[in-house]
Amino acid sequence: MNPAVPVSLIIVPLAASPLPYLIGRLPRRIFLTPRWIALAALAVVWVVFALMMRDYVAPVTLQFEAVAFQVDGLSLLLAALALALGTLAVIYSGPYMAGQTGEEKYYALLLVLTGAMIGLACAADLFNLWVWFEAMVICTYLLVAFYRQRPTSLEAGVKYLVQSAVGSVLVVLGIALVLAQTGTLDLAAIRQATGDATLMPVAGALFLIGFGVKLAIVPLHTWLPDAYAESPSGISAVLSGVVTKAGLVALLRVAAALAGITLSWGVLLMAFGTLNILVGNLLALRQTQIKRLLAYSSMSQIGYMLLGLGIGIYTGESSGIQGGLFHALNHGLMKGLAFFAVGAVLYALGRLSGGEHTLGIGDLRGTARRYPLIGLALTLALLSLGGVPPLAGFMSKWQIFAAGVGTGTGWIDALVIFAALNSVLSLAYYLPVINMLFQDSSSTAGQTARCLPVAIVLPVVLLAVAMLVVGLWPGALMWLTQPATSALMAAFGGL
Amino acid sequence: MTPLHVAATGALVLLGIGLYGLLALRNLIKVIIALQIMVKGVVLALVAAGSISGQINLGQSLAVTLIVADTIVAVVGLALAVQVRRRFGSLDVQELSTLRG
Repeated sequence: MNPAVPVSLIIVPLAASPLPYLIGRLPRRIFLTPRWIALAALAVVWVVFALMMRDYVAPVTLQFEAVAFQVDGLSLLLAALALALGTLAVIYSGPYMAGQTGEEKYYALLLVLTGAMIGLACAADLFNLWVWFEAMVICTYLLVAFYRQRPTSLEAGVKYLVQSAVGSVLVVLGIALVLAQTGTLDLAAIRQATGDATLMPVAGALFLIGFGVKLAIVPLHTWLPDAYAESPSGISAVLSGVVTKAGLVALLRVAAALAGITLSWGVLLMAFGTLNILVGNLLALRQTQIKRLLAYSSMSQIGYMLLGLGIGIYTGESSGIQGGLFHALNHGLMKGLAFFAVGAVLYALGRLSGGEHTLGIGDLRGTARRYPLIGLALTLALLSLGGVPPLAGFMSKWQIFAAGVGTGTGWIDALVIFAALNSVLSLAYYLPVINMLFQDSSSTAGQTARCLPVAIVLPVVLLAVAMLVVGLWPGALMWLTQPATSALMAAFGGL
Repeated sequence: MTPLHVAATGALVLLGIGLYGLLALRNLIKVIIALQIMVKGVVLALVAAGSISGQINLGQSLAVTLIVADTIVAVVGLALAVQVRRRFGSLDVQELSTLRG
């Protein structure tokens, strides 16, 4: 493959990112709005991505001095998800963010965020990985606290910034330990490093905590509901759909590099996964605001991914890993859809700025009557999150459970049964929302609602159709999950 | 006690001070300063790690990159602090607890 192709995949969104800002700052409004510039840049990235998919046969490594990039299946999976949700968020945010202060910065940051996530996906040395991770995280600080006139949004931003920044510090400390011990930062070289490894378990623990903040593994999750609920809905979708997966990919890459010499990652991931499923579900049960409910449900869905990946890494079977990655993709679709649909209702109610900007479950009463498409899409997303067949979420959960039962180990069976029961428990908070959507009477807020523009309905419909297709034909995403699985298996040394 | 021991001890002490400050202080600007102290400890650790492994250039270039990244975080954090002072009328982080549940 021509090395220019993967490089331009990262460079194009980053290089184009100042343009929306500069255009937006022009004293006279011209035909080109910041949003269209951002969309054009992302269209170019899509073309590059298509070229890369066409030529992709085996992992490609690029080395620039000490900086290494590697394009493998895992990179493609994360890049595809980042691009898909990034593009949809730009389309969606057109009417949603119209007229907000700093609209031009919003699109610039969204482009940098997309570029940084693609860079993170392709990084093949530890420090490079951290730099992209930090670039991504800094963009999200600004986007979470985007409504800076709103105190709650600032509060969410501060909580998120302090926790994430501490996590980043710990990651760099881990990098320093690895450097001191092995003298190299290349992920493949670390794997082969031999000799004294006393500091490596410490480094592994630091990475788990540092990247775990972004993944919201259980004791480190407290920023998550605030950040998801207070950011603009397009950003909530990207945060939940891709940014957590970027944290997951970063953790997996590092875990694979340290697999030979430290902790048993499989057991750790399974343990944290199970904890996340339970705590996420229990906290979601008592939520009255729909965006906070979705945020906690993200936590429990991350738990399923970790469980699948943990089973795969522990047993060395590809089915668990594939299930986990498949669930990561599906979760991107489902949670993106759910946040977009909820954002559409917020838009319809005119609650984007000003004092009242939250959406209680009661405010959804009768929404499906007024907006049948949005109601149907949100219903599908919630049922899929709850794991109702034949929707996408069921397929990936099923694959994870099947992988777990296939191991024939008693305690893994117990974990799988526990996770499956939790999936039923999660319906306890999804179903009341759906019930509310299809009530006969409308809430008072619902009666004054306005029409929805195409740019808001389109991403919702696209994601809903994608989710249905994946549910009915789970092989549809195999071209992404299969290479990613083999890349991860190879990274863990075939186990 | 070799210079490396001094560097490692210094890094740990800075990390400890930063972590304590992060947990104990209530003023948002002081919290960000505490964060900065932690990062400075890690900068020291990176340079020391480069020296231990014989990769002095690598360690130092990483340290410089870290300083850049960390400055951006500090700038964003302080910008948030300015807005918090404006909206909440105080920099006390205890006031930032309206979101619950």
